[in-house]
Amino acid sequence: MNNLNESLKQVIARLGSMTLAVAILCVLAVASAIGTVLLQNQEQTDYLRQFGELWYWTFRSLGLFDMYHTWWFLTLLAFLMVSLAVCLWRNVPHMLKEMRTRKVAITDKSLKTFHHQHHWELADGADMADVKRLAEQGLSEWELMEAEKEGAVYLRGDKGRFHKWGYILAHSAVLIILIGGWISVHYGFRGNMSVPEGQSDNEIEFLRGTAVHHLKMPFRVRCNSFHIAFYPSGPPKEFRSNLSIIDHGKVVMTKDIIVNEPLKYKGVRIFQASFGDGGSAITLKLFNLDGSQKVQTVKTHVYQTWSDPKTGVSLEITNFRPFNIQNMAGPGEPKDFEDLGPAVEFIIRGPGLKPVKVKSYMNPFVYKGQNRGTLLEVSESGDGKDYQPFLLGLDLTNPKEWQLFHAFVHAAASVGGGNTQQERFKAFNAALKQVYGDKRPKDFQDLGVRLLQAMQSLPRIPWPYIPLLVDYDQVYYTGLQLTEDPGMNVVWTGSILLVLGLCIMFYMPHRKIWLVIRPAAKGLDIDAAGMTNRNTLGFEKEFQALMNKLNTIFEAHKST
Amino acid sequence: MSVALANQTMWDNLSHGRPGFIRFGAYLGLILGAVGLAFYGSGGYDQKQYLFQLFSGQGLIWCGTGAIIGGLSSTVLSTLRPSITEAKIATNLVSWLDGAALLLLLTALLSQFEPPKSMISFDDQSNLFSGRVIMTMNIVFIFSAASYIAYLFAPEAFIGKLGTWAAWAGVYAGGSSLLLRWHESYLINTDIGHAPVSNLYEVFILLCCVTTVVYLTLERRYQAKAMGAFVMSLVAAAVFFDIWLASVGEASIKPLVPALQSYWMKIHVPMNFVGYGSFSVACGAGMAYLFRSRLESRGSKARVLAVMPSLDQLDQLAYKAVAIGFPAFTLATILGAAWASEAWGGYWSWDPKETWALIVWLTYGAYLHARVSHGWHGRALAWWAVAGFLVTLFCFLGVNMYLSGLHSYGRLS
Repeated sequence: MNNLNESLKQVIARLGSMTLAVAILCVLAVASAIGTVLLQNQEQTDYLRQFGELWYWTFRSLGLFDMYHTWWFLTLLAFLMVSLAVCLWRNVPHMLKEMRTRKVAITDKSLKTFHHQHHWELADGADMADVKRLAEQGLSEWELMEAEKEGAVYLRGDKGRFHKWGYILAHSAVLIILIGGWISVHYGFRGNMSVPEGQSDNEIEFLRGTAVHHLKMPFRVRCNSFHIAFYPSGPPKEFRSNLSIIDHGKVVMTKDIIVNEPLKYKGVRIFQASFGDGGSAITLKLFNLDGSQKVQTVKTHVYQTWSDPKTGVSLEITNFRPFNIQNMAGPGEPKDFEDLGPAVEFIIRGPGLKPVKVKSYMNPFVYKGQNRGTLLEVSESGDGKDYQPFLLGLDLTNPKEWQLFHAFVHAAASVGGGNTQQERFKAFNAALKQVYGDKRPKDFQDLGVRLLQAMQSLPRIPWPYIPLLVDYDQVYYTGLQLTEDPGMNVVWTGSILLVLGLCIMFYMPHRKIWLVIRPAAKGLDIDAAGMTNRNTLGFEKEFQALMNKLNTIFEAHKST
Repeated sequence: MSVALANQTMWDNLSHGRPGFIRFGAYLGLILGAVGLAFYGSGGYDQKQYLFQLFSGQGLIWCGTGAIIGGLSSTVLSTLRPSITEAKIATNLVSWLDGAALLLLLTALLSQFEPPKSMISFDDQSNLFSGRVIMTMNIVFIFSAASYIAYLFAPEAFIGKLGTWAAWAGVYAGGSSLLLRWHESYLINTDIGHAPVSNLYEVFILLCCVTTVVYLTLERRYQAKAMGAFVMSLVAAAVFFDIWLASVGEASIKPLVPALQSYWMKIHVPMNFVGYGSFSVACGAGMAYLFRSRLESRGSKARVLAVMPSLDQLDQLAYKAVAIGFPAFTLATILGAAWASEAWGGYWSWDPKETWALIVWLTYGAYLHARVSHGWHGRALAWWAVAGFLVTLFCFLGVNMYLSGLHSYGRLS
């Protein structure tokens, strides 16, 4: 039994030791650093690609992809808590006792060890009581105690006597913050909810480790509208959602939220976190490339797939954006941001076709005031990271140009294939006449150039038709973050105590001063000594100033 | 042992006694007047309009009345109880408030040199006057660093003074340039207007100023002039970085992204830089320590050893700087957590910036434990102060440059 007690005591002593505490601090610092270098909570496939099979599985088994929630990291934190608790438990009673008892009549030997010393000899007729009174006057700012021992009078002054409370507060504050964090993790939640405009939802989803979890809220959130405001120079200025809270079928609250201004209902706070397309209605025109000049209209929605039973081609609409701000400046030029207007993104698939991602712009591409025709962007990899611009030449928003293209193809064939400049010129004139009659458009020369471009580009398209965005009815979804955090107030309490404790620790050092007045052969001997546990430089000044003050007082006394 | 009279300068006298105390009261009244205006002024509080309100007739009445009441009541108080004029809080704070008032006056003066409003545009910000003030700051800080370094080799009092005065001039130039930028952001467009702590360029100016102020305070209190060469070299390095940022077009005033549109930015960012600045000074003290101990171990008789603080004092100064920085950094991190909980929904997300702030905190926490509880001193801790600064540097620069995360608006584009 005794043995067990002894070893328990030893374990506790080890746990509360400073060396262990500093070691834990250092290990925590290094471990935290790893988590910042290795991006957390990314797609598993990205990790696999980045590290390869071996390292991927090594890192994954160590939980390095969600490091801050692994058992070993939490154990480290728990160790810190235990170490702190033991340290407090062992030292606090000690400190409290030290603050309560103050020894006044100390031995000469310990007096000699103090860093700051001063000595006076007051000659002739100096009266002990008088000098003591004067000294007390000089030490008026100090908390004084006095005692007598062997005929000598001891005066002890203290400042910042409650300095040790700084330690106690700061260390228990860290413990409180960690406990608050633990409460947050175990009894709180934090998850995302995407609500399309006009719809409502009551389920959040969040990631734990590598798995997605769902949680039902005790109320529904309806997004009435979502709005983005822009600065005149282009960047977004404000994301604003108008939300209604529906509890038991009744709207109990309707409020706007923006970034930095959440709303709170039943202890759950709702934040503006992101946004995206909420399934906008999209109208596409498909320009058939079989020479038939046919155009068919398709109505669909973002996140839906439209398939053509005839050709087996399908369009999976992945995104729609009403603004597409791009830097139009060439390399080396000052940045020039312009909005290219609405665009829809889709993945096109079909028999014998390589699936690619396409971004189709509603407006023709206008560069330096000149119409360059319809713009598509094509991502060969299909993930939208390697978009390459593809200019058709034709402006498909203008039906006449579509007609002109076909008229030109026919005319070129009838004059011999359009292989020479002359033939092409002839065919172009004929086509112009056919489509526009006698009223040639003003920019017909420019049109000719673009028509030739279309002759080059259109045959390169492998799909049976060119999809063009012609109309949309935009719906956003608002990305909300819902959190409940019962540990938060505990953390704030701990934080306030921490700052308070640190301020006491650093700015209210405990300063002690002794004056020992004892009768000498002639007159009185006075010894002064002072010490502090912090800020020795500052104390040196303070001590000297005090000695100066006492000096003047004693001198004045002498001369009277 | 003789008791040396603490050498009181003219400046110290200014902040003591009745004149100092009455001024303190007046400042306090002025601040309360400004706060009162925010709470009870007609038209209510609007973040975008408050500054204009403050400098309008209404603001003058509120602040002026506050200052007069404050001044009068402190006059009465000091007559009734003369000893109150030596209250620590007044004598310590009044010189800071004097400095702040001087900075505001200087800014008001400099703002007269702004181009007419019709000439100010978002697209071309080269004609804004703050650019010239920043250039002045750059030159003055570099000159100061050069003077301090010269002082190491030729410790003449005059050269040292030159360094100190240049450093002060730099602080006032830098401070007023930031306030000018604040004003200019509103001149460009009230929608864009924001506090000048929103990008790397601006916070580097802040860092230079804060570091210099912390250093100068320590220099004045503890006669640590020869440390200036080390601290001001760091400041000069920051100045060169800022010049580079300006050369790659990062210096312009840009509108705030939604995440930064919060009053927390005005509190969290400057507080953080009190921490960063103090840690830089601690690093300077650490380097000075290593320099001196190197000279001493070689048995050098360099003249600078006579004017340089002793090893023990340098050790103390490094600690002193950490003692300023650590609570400030702790508070700044907590304020950041408070902002995060209001903007992102959680006070802690293990975002790289947050995590590195924690690492910095742990580093200096361990420093303090090693020093206070383990009684470490000297070279090891001097190295620790230098290494701690490198960690700090990574936290506020490296994270922005190399790691992505929620703080990525501080990123170089």
